[in-house]
Amino acid sequence: MIEFRNVTKLFGSGETTVRAVDDLSFAIPPGAFWALMGPSGSGKSTVLHLIAGLTPPTGGSVLVEGRDVAKMSEAEAAALRRRRIGYILQTFNLMPFLTVGENVGMPLVLDGVNQREVDARVDEALGMVKISHRATHYPTHLSGGEQQRVAIARALIIRPAIVLADEPTGNLDRANGRTVMDLLQDVNEQLRVTVLLVTHDPVFAAYAQRILRFVDGRLEQDIPLPEKPPSNLSLVK
Amino acid sequence: MRQPHGIQYAILGMVSRHPRGVHGYALKRQCERVLGHFWQLNFGEIYRVLDRLADAGQIEHVVVDSSSPRKLYRITERGQVSLDAFILEPPTDAPRPLRQELAVKLLFAGPERLPGLLHVVEDQRRAYLEQLHRLGVHRRRLLRAAPVDSFVTSLLIDGAELAARAELAWLDDVTQKLKAKFGASA
Repeated sequence: MIEFRNVTKLFGSGETTVRAVDDLSFAIPPGAFWALMGPSGSGKSTVLHLIAGLTPPTGGSVLVEGRDVAKMSEAEAAALRRRRIGYILQTFNLMPFLTVGENVGMPLVLDGVNQREVDARVDEALGMVKISHRATHYPTHLSGGEQQRVAIARALIIRPAIVLADEPTGNLDRANGRTVMDLLQDVNEQLRVTVLLVTHDPVFAAYAQRILRFVDGRLEQDIPLPEKPPSNLSLVK
Repeated sequence: MRQPHGIQYAILGMVSRHPRGVHGYALKRQCERVLGHFWQLNFGEIYRVLDRLADAGQIEHVVVDSSSPRKLYRITERGQVSLDAFILEPPTDAPRPLRQELAVKLLFAGPERLPGLLHVVEDQRRAYLEQLHRLGVHRRRLLRAAPVDSFVTSLLIDGAELAARAELAWLDDVTQKLKAKFGASA
């Protein structure tokens, strides 16, 4: 469960103050797949940053799994990000000097997991995104679509409760964008992971169960989409 | 029916895939599978088109078993010539009319009507996003089933998605400009 209670986020001060998020309240149930849309600067990405505790709210509170993110200690907030939240970005953010397998295993290594388990879970995560054959390659040798699948594997390896995807298809062509979206949908349906997607693309937003449309930091339109039958595509055996 | 011309050839084309003949019912099922999401077809309509095609000598009845009352249809040489010509002709679809109804409403836009108009635009946006959602579900089903005709259907879905995307971009533009013109604090 993710809950926003009258959350406001201001950047800057005085006359140059920007209201990135303006008195926002909503609750996202566990296992939901929601999309956030809206023009640039409407506050969509800030919503994700607030959930991950990357930036504190100016007013109100953000609750993740019942706990106020702003009231967590530095160590608790870091643990939340490292163990519960997978983050996927438009720019992939893979480390060029590490192999695909090492990139994917990094969150576990940083969390002190032993190498044997890291290796097993890297295999599992690469298998989920169907890129096992690239494990020993370096990211720069991969296409954009492949790099984003690696980034998704890195987000999934921690077995997150929540995946935050900020314009994950922004640097991809339509076919690769669709592959990424199909993966995110499988992650949501089959692993029961809560997925929050920020996107400009209505075709991809329409994968979600609900679309929130933001304008100037405010929720302008809330669009629930009809239920759909579960997928038979098997990602997890 | 928006394009009776297209329908006629769609059915003729479906018949042509069965050199030994096809039942009306099987034909209807195939039409539904390939075109059903884009054209609403009913049984009566398909039979009317079949009758018309038969009158024009483009299809014929095949007698397989004189004891069976069911009719099989098969394309004739004349039908095949007509189909081949149709496929290479430029499509007769005119570009879609500009969004007439919303445009008419926009004529009466003013500060006092702004909230109501924004609401109308929101309803339109919702409708298009729901359509995209259904198209997405349909595309995934198609992937799983992978029938012979999925190629054409997926091209049609691509087209419908691109059209909806353009419409949604326009609606965002309308919202923004309405607010700029008639007051932002609606």
